[in-house]
Amino acid sequence: MAHSLGWMALFLYLAAEILSIAALRRPRRGLGLAVMLALGAGLALQFADLQVRARALGSVPYRTLEGSLSLFGWMLGIAFLALQIRHRERAIGPFLIPIVMIASLAGMLVPAHATAATPETRGVLFALHVTFAILAYAAFTFSFVLSILYLIQNRQLKRRRIGVLFSRLPALEVIGRMNRTAVSIGLAVLVVALMLGIVRASELWATLADPKILWALITLAVYVFLLWVDRRGWEGRRVALLSILGFGVVLFSYTVVNLYFSTAHHFR
Amino acid sequence: MTASSETRLVLLGWNFRVADVAIRDRVAFSADEVREALREIVGRGLVAEGVIVSTCHRSEIYGVVEAQRSEKELAGFVAQWRGLEAASLSSAGFLREGADAARHLFRVASGLDSMALGESEVLGQVRQALRLAREIGSTHAVLHRLFESAVAAGKRVRTETEIGVHPLSVTSIGLELAGKVFGDVSEKTVLVLGAGETGGLFAHQAADAGWRDLRIANRTLERAETVARQVEGTAIAWEDVPRELPRADMVVGTTASETPVVRAEEVEAAMRERRGRPLVFLDLAIPPDIDPAVAKIYNVFAYALNDLADVAEENRRRRAHQIPRAEEILEQELQKFLLWYGNLSVVPTVTGWRKNLEQEVERELSRQPANDRERLRSFGAALMARVLHEPLRRLKAEADTAKKLERVEAIRHLFGLDQEK
Repeated sequence: MAHSLGWMALFLYLAAEILSIAALRRPRRGLGLAVMLALGAGLALQFADLQVRARALGSVPYRTLEGSLSLFGWMLGIAFLALQIRHRERAIGPFLIPIVMIASLAGMLVPAHATAATPETRGVLFALHVTFAILAYAAFTFSFVLSILYLIQNRQLKRRRIGVLFSRLPALEVIGRMNRTAVSIGLAVLVVALMLGIVRASELWATLADPKILWALITLAVYVFLLWVDRRGWEGRRVALLSILGFGVVLFSYTVVNLYFSTAHHFR
Repeated sequence: MTASSETRLVLLGWNFRVADVAIRDRVAFSADEVREALREIVGRGLVAEGVIVSTCHRSEIYGVVEAQRSEKELAGFVAQWRGLEAASLSSAGFLREGADAARHLFRVASGLDSMALGESEVLGQVRQALRLAREIGSTHAVLHRLFESAVAAGKRVRTETEIGVHPLSVTSIGLELAGKVFGDVSEKTVLVLGAGETGGLFAHQAADAGWRDLRIANRTLERAETVARQVEGTAIAWEDVPRELPRADMVVGTTASETPVVRAEEVEAAMRERRGRPLVFLDLAIPPDIDPAVAKIYNVFAYALNDLADVAEENRRRRAHQIPRAEEILEQELQKFLLWYGNLSVVPTVTGWRKNLEQEVERELSRQPANDRERLRSFGAALMARVLHEPLRRLKAEADTAKKLERVEAIRHLFGLDQEK
């Protein structure tokens, strides 16, 4: 079966998700560790799957849409695992792991179309460009999930609705701080990805007028504005809404723009 | 229950469920009185072992009573000691025996029997009761094991259920809500309006919850200064309250003012100055100190007394939800104790010990040549009977019940008789 390693990874993610929901409902000492083990094992398997893809393509595995989706899911999972180990923030898992699963699943279900590598998709610059771009997307996805949690917690506090989630979710200020970190990392990495892309493109293309670049700049603008609003004061809810908007732009740019508008960034 | 045939575990108690305050006050024991009473009841031979748990809500005497003695004597002693009529004292209290007595202590230790369901203080009080009894030397194998098991069970209930998680008092709930806004409150500022009883209590609780910068405002500055000194805070003159608003992260209303002390316009202005940083209001005053309209302002989180009381009610329900799980844990721990206790008497111990040694002899025999076995078996049996004769004779002859049980426990421990099960 194609991607048997990937499917096994997906199964482990599902286990991690179920365990993390259980941990949220009733915290027990062993559960947090079990979530991390299941997730870590899944990530290791998915990494192996990415290696297999790379060998089949004879290049980095993410010049295809399915490969890049898979890598995106993997990076998001790695970022979450790192956060888990550092902060032991149980509440994020149940919301974030499904996105890891969806991305990884899409990475296996989108029909593979291995074509010969074009000049653009060779070389270290391209590999780094895509890696950084996907890492930025993962950071923004993280920010999106944190923003949703922020809005839930904000709403509970405003309405005095103190549910199970209330006691499990981190404090507003803590979510806000994590969100700021996620966006800052995302922005820095996106800038690097853009610059690498522009360097590479200026070597190969006659013009830089590509819709994908335009949308990347829009993404950049939204998140820069977000950080500016955040710096002005502690504007939690507006920051959360901006992050959700930014994520919408990222999604649009990743899917619609890639598939229909951009010729140069069309996955081949 | 298969309690040891020589002794019984009894509990004589007066708690808030069955005895009214008047009786409870009469049978309450101070630490010194606990020591004295324990010395008396052990000295008079009313119990072989004794522990007294005495808190504001309960006085409970746990005892290991020898078979030929009656717990009535124990009740009689308390009545006499406290100058009460034995009949009225007995009718106001309750008596439990064996497994029921043990179960009661497990429930007490885990907070299931407390007035504020799931409170944790009682666990410390149970531990303290054991400590006092050990000082006096009134606990031996049984009560020591019983209390340690109860404390362990209480701890398990605490960590494995949420019975103690959701706060029940309006102040703790208010502080929890603020904690869910700010996370780390040590760098935050709280402004307490009013230095009366509620204000003073709140200031202390906030300090305990980690708030470092405490500001106390009061119409008469002296009272504010008194409270401020106690909590290492700052006293604020009443006229300065509007100026303090933008600096505070939490404002707590506790005054007796007939009209709101904090108006919505002031808060709007303060929020502009704060550049939208969140502000929490807790209104513990009746009538309210804080204009309810402030709740609509962006990033303002305002809780009135009845909001907090609603949460308290909800939390009580949530704690109550945990009871079945807590009881499941208690029952598991109780069974462990009862198994140990049930085995803790001379007859099963002697039988177990013999069986244990016989098995060893058989194991050794199986390694010997077949034609020697019969001879060696009778030799082994004779040797075993010899070796066991003296210890068993001494064990059975021991007159002091507590000592006897202690020795039984030692044998069970040294020969691993409880591990086989």
